[in-house]
Formats: sequence, C-alpha cells, structure tokens
Amino acid sequence: MSLSPVLSIAQRALAASETALEVVSNNIANVNTPGYSRQAPEFTSNVPIVNPIGIFIGTGATVTRVIQIVDDLLDKRILEAETDRREHATLRDRLGSLAGVLNDVQEPSLTSQLAGFFDAVDALARNPAGLAERQTVLGRAVALADELNRRSASVATLQRGADDALVDRVERANALLAEIADVNVAIAAAELEGQRANDLRDRRRVALGELAGIVSIQTTEDDGGAVAVYASNGLALINAGTVVHTFGTRTGGFGLDGFALHDPGFVDAAGNFLDLPSGFARGEIGALLAVRDGQYPTASAALDTFAVALRDRVNAIQTAGVDLDGNATTLAPLFGGTGAADLTVLLNPATDPTAPRKLAAALGTEPGDNRNALALADLRTTPIAALGNVTLSAYLGIEQGRVGEDAQRADDTSKATGLLGQQLDAQRAAISGVNLNEELTNLLEYQRAFQAAAQVIQVADTILDELVHILR
Amino acid sequence: MSIQRVSDAQTFALLNQRAAALEVQIRRLQRQVTSGTLYASPEENPAAATRILRSRADLSALGQYGDSARFGVQILGAQDKALGEAGALMTRAEEIAAQMSSGLISAEQRLAAAEEVHGILEGLTSLGNAELAGRRLFGGLALDAPAPFADPDTPGWDPATAYTGSTQEFFVKIGGGATERVRLSTDGDAVFEDALTGVAALETALRTNGDVSATVAGLVQGRDTIAAERASVGARQAQLVERDDQVGATVLREQTALADVEDADLVVVISQLVQAQTALQATLQAATRVIQTNLANLVSI
Repeated sequence: MSLSPVLSIAQRALAASETALEVVSNNIANVNTPGYSRQAPEFTSNVPIVNPIGIFIGTGATVTRVIQIVDDLLDKRILEAETDRREHATLRDRLGSLAGVLNDVQEPSLTSQLAGFFDAVDALARNPAGLAERQTVLGRAVALADELNRRSASVATLQRGADDALVDRVERANALLAEIADVNVAIAAAELEGQRANDLRDRRRVALGELAGIVSIQTTEDDGGAVAVYASNGLALINAGTVVHTFGTRTGGFGLDGFALHDPGFVDAAGNFLDLPSGFARGEIGALLAVRDGQYPTASAALDTFAVALRDRVNAIQTAGVDLDGNATTLAPLFGGTGAADLTVLLNPATDPTAPRKLAAALGTEPGDNRNALALADLRTTPIAALGNVTLSAYLGIEQGRVGEDAQRADDTSKATGLLGQQLDAQRAAISGVNLNEELTNLLEYQRAFQAAAQVIQVADTILDELVHILR
Repeated sequence: MSIQRVSDAQTFALLNQRAAALEVQIRRLQRQVTSGTLYASPEENPAAATRILRSRADLSALGQYGDSARFGVQILGAQDKALGEAGALMTRAEEIAAQMSSGLISAEQRLAAAEEVHGILEGLTSLGNAELAGRRLFGGLALDAPAPFADPDTPGWDPATAYTGSTQEFFVKIGGGATERVRLSTDGDAVFEDALTGVAALETALRTNGDVSATVAGLVQGRDTIAAERASVGARQAQLVERDDQVGATVLREQTALADVEDADLVVVISQLVQAQTALQATLQAATRVIQTNLANLVSI
C-alpha cells in the first residue's frame, strides 16, 4: 500500500482550497469596486487512475480556472441604456439651468420689471409734468433693459458652457478610446493561454459604459477577446488594439457671445477631420449639441424678439410726442440697441440730467397734455403682431411656459431613462454583484475544505508514523 | 425579471437612491413651507407658471386702473365741491339781483350790493383758479401752471377773455382697452364764462344804476351752465367710484385665483413634510438593520 496518492490528493486539495480562498478574498476586496463582476473558482475532478489492485480511483480536484459571473446580453443592454440615460440627464441639467436663468416665477423678474415700467408710465399719465414720475419711468426702463441684458448674457454663458463641455467630452472620449484599445491588447495577451482576463474585462466594461454615455457606440467582440468599437453611423473607432478614428472638434459657427463654437467630428489616422454629424446624434454630446444649437439660441431669439418689439413700439410712441419743454421728440427715442443683449436706455438720467424732461408725455404743447403717456400706457394691453398678436407680458408668460415645459419634459424623460438604467443595474448587480454574506459562506466552505485536506495529511502522517514504528 | 439575488452594492444603491429621492422631496417641501409658495421654477409646473405670470401682470395693471380711478375721484370730487360753491355764489347773485330790482332801493344800498357782487365775481374767479396738489382743477389739470382766470380787478378785464388756461382735455385710463378712459378735465372757460359774464353785468348795472332785472337771465344761464357741468362731473365721479369698486372686486378674485395656483396649502405641505421625514427615517433605519445583519457578526472564522 502506498500513501503517496493520499498525500498528493490532499496537497492538491489544499492548493485548490487556497485558490478558492484567494478568489473569495478578491471578491470581498472588490465589494465596492464599480463595474466589478464577482468571480468564482471552477473546481474540476482530476483524471482517475487505476490503482495497483485494478480499481479506478479518483485523484482529487483542482481549480482549473476562475470564471466571471456575467450576462453579456445584459451588459449590451446596459451599454445602450447608458447612452439614453446620460443623454437625457444632460438635457435635464442643461434645460433646468435655462429654466433657472429665465425663471420669472420668483421675483424680481423680467415680468415684474415690465409691469414696473408700465406702472410708472401709468403714474406719468396721471401727472404728465411730474419730474418724479418721469424719473421713475426712466429708472424702470433702465431696470428692464438691464434685466434683458443680464438674461441674454446668461443664456450666452449657458451656451458657452455647453460648448466647453462638448470639447471636454470629446477629449474624455478620446482618452477612453485609448484606454479601451490598450485593455484590448492586454486582454488578448492574457487570454492567449486560455485563461479569462476577468479584471481587465471589468475595466474595459466600465470604460465602454462611460464612452457609451458620451456618444452612442456599437461593439462586437472577436475570438481573441478584443472588442471592436463603432460609432452609431458605423464608422470604426477601435479595431483590436488600434484606435482607427478618434473624436475631434473644429471651429464652427459663432455663439451667442460672439465667439466661435466647436463642431464635433472624427479624425482619421492621417489627421483628416471627417464631418459626420450623424455620429453625434445621441449621448451626452448629442444632448449638448441639441441645447447649444437648439434651445439656447431659441430662448435667446425669444428675448431678442421681445426686446425689439418693446424698443420699436415704445420708440414709435416716444418719437411721436412732445417733451416737457414743448420740443418734438422725433430724434429722442427711449430705447436703443439691436436686441436683448445690448438693449439700452438712450434717455438715461444717470448720464443726462435733463433726460426726464425729454420723455414725451404729450402730443402738443398745451399744459397738462397726457395723450402720449396714455398711448404708452395702452401698450401694456396692446397685442403686438411681431409677438404673435399677444401683449408683451403675455409673450413672456408663453415663453416661460415653453421653457418650463421643455425642462419638465427633459426631467420626466430623464427620470424614465434613469429608472430603466437603475433596473438594468439592479439586474446586473443581482447577477454579478458581490454579496458579503455569500462570500463569507464561501469563505467558511473553503476554509472547512482546507481544514479537511490538512486533516487528511495529518491522518496520512499518523499512518506513516505507525508504519515506521512497526519497522523499528 | 424578478430579482433572485441581492448584492451588497444593490443594498447600498437602493439606500442611496431612496434616501436621495426623499431628501429632494423634503427640501422642496421645506422651501414650500418657508416661502408659502408651491413653485420656485417654471419646470415644476409650466402651465401654473404661465398662469401665475398672467395673473401678476393683470394685478399690476388692475392696480394702476384702481389708482387712476381713485385719483380721478379725488380730482372730480374737488371739482364738484368747487362747482357747488360756484353754484351757491350764483344763487346769491340771483338773490341780490331780485332784491335790487325794486325801485325803492337807495343809491347807497345799490353800491353796497355792487361791492358784494364784486366779491362774488372774485369768488368765482378764485374757484376757477382752484388747485389740488398743485394742479389747476379748471385749467386742464396742468401742474404748477399759472392761474387760468385773470383777476377781475385787472384793468380791461373782460369775462369773455378772462380764461387763458389750457384747453387740453385730460383723461385717465381705467381699463385695458384704448377707449376705457374717463375725462377728468373740466373746461374752465366753458363752465365759468357765462357765470362771470352774468355777474359782471349785474355789478355794472348796480354801479351804473342800470336795469338790474335785465341781468337775471344771464345769471340763470351762468348758474345752469355750472349746474350742468357739475352734473357731468358727478356722473364721471360715480363712474370712477363704480370702476374702483369693480377693480377692487376683480383684484380680489384674481388674487384668490392666483393664490389657488401659487400658494402652498400649509396644512397639506406640512403633513407631506412629516410623511417624507418619517419615510426617510424608516428608510435609514431599515437600511441600518439590513446592513448590520451580516454573517461576519454571527460566526467566528
């Protein structure tokens, strides 16, 4: 009888348990690692042998490989959902900021400034020669123009912020492309021997998820374990370990602040810029482009429309009247500028102390004439064709509702896509996430197995000891 | 797909998501309680935001219509008072004319009456030059304007040319429409010319021993003109009082409607706040219990 096989089996069992304990330790250590997929040792019985008395007998077990508990199909769905989730979260954030900038619900607001201006005009109509009333009208006009300037500048700042974010996202996407290509190479090298590069795959999965959030991508995995990445328009981005096309930007049209914006595109290996907008329709970049070139200019244009209508209608009345000194005000318009950004009060009491006297409250030179002030006061309730046949204040209300609806819709969609993403994440976590109780159970299980294998060695040792005693 | 297995990351993610959602809700409710308003931003309720802005704009305009109506009531009230006094002066002038029409009146009595009538003439002129807050009630309501009626003691004074004030009509706006205006000005020349002419004729008759009875018709006409204008002033004043009442009622309705849309029902909001706080507490407690229940606490490895 030989005790060697027993010792040999026990030794392999010790090694197997040790490996299993390492796997469990690794799982426990990565319990909070984002994107980590739990791993499990795969035990395999060794090939049995025929013993000296002709009986097939087992030779123990070994850990042949460490598997990763993942659902590849689910991971693909998560990748697609991530594009939606980041796209709509970006839209929600950016449109929420726009709604905040144009917020009239909280006062002081543009609506309250407009009402204040017309209140002052009404007071002027009651006392057309009153210098205090005239001063108040001009002061309110200045406050109204300042508020329009501020809002216009704020919308321009939002647009610039979106453009800066776009450039930043493009740079991040390029860093991710490089990382994914590098990991592709490392995975292919590691898996040549038939072992699965679990941790590298996790790392690549996280990078792909972040990239999919920035821009919509398609992926396919080849037999060597490398992932090929394509843009949504089919353009190859990564082929094995090579970045075929990177993302890039070039100078585009002018922004609301007068400075150039950036257009995203692809750059080939020779450095040529490929203008393919269809590749950027979705994801964070798609959302940034949508608000930068859509909602922000629309909001700015609405402010301009309002400012121009206000300027033209007020000036038409102002220049048709007579000032406090009986002079025609044909050449003394109240508002100047070309839009909301530069609307200014030309009769500014801060720069011209006689400005209040130049306000045309009258149509003639008779004392007490308030006809022009009344005409100006009528403007409060006059529908204006340039505003779609609504009054100035109604136009602001409609625009407020439109911006609010856009932001609310984006928020609702973001919640829906976020919920879907959470559900998919939960499914993935249910499959691939680490459960400490489970790992502790496994720890106990492998510890017991290790103890049992050690016990076998101890028994074999005792038997050998007995045999040595017999021989003595 | 039903969840068959729960990872530790899921447990913490669920805690974070639920607690974050409740904290956002609590913050919103807290803001509603402290501000007393439901919405802080248009995206919370775009339709309500549009409605709130329209109501605020309407209230602002209504406030001005109310101010204009009350201003008009003040002006027309002062005019009414002045015209009432002018009417009383004309009645006195008629009484004097009736008394002085008798052939038994002495020269001294006629002279004394002439002095009283001159006082009436000056009184009428003074009323024609009346001011309210620096504005000529019968001079186009012009601010700080010179007296529209010349002093009867001025050499060459003529009632037909005594008025040199503004002839501009003065309206106030009491509604959104371009025609919703009420005239506040009362043409001093038209109102006082007949009266001044009649009283001046009476004084002349008394001083020159003329036919006093012949001046009575002019005095009656002057009094009637004043009475007619006073009636017009009264009618416009009543219109403005009614408009002010209407505006007040509309403001109240609009404020109520605005409050329905904008204001937070504190009882409801505080109840929701307590509910959310309880839910957050329960979430945190449940999570703590789940997290603390761990195999590591029960076995020694």
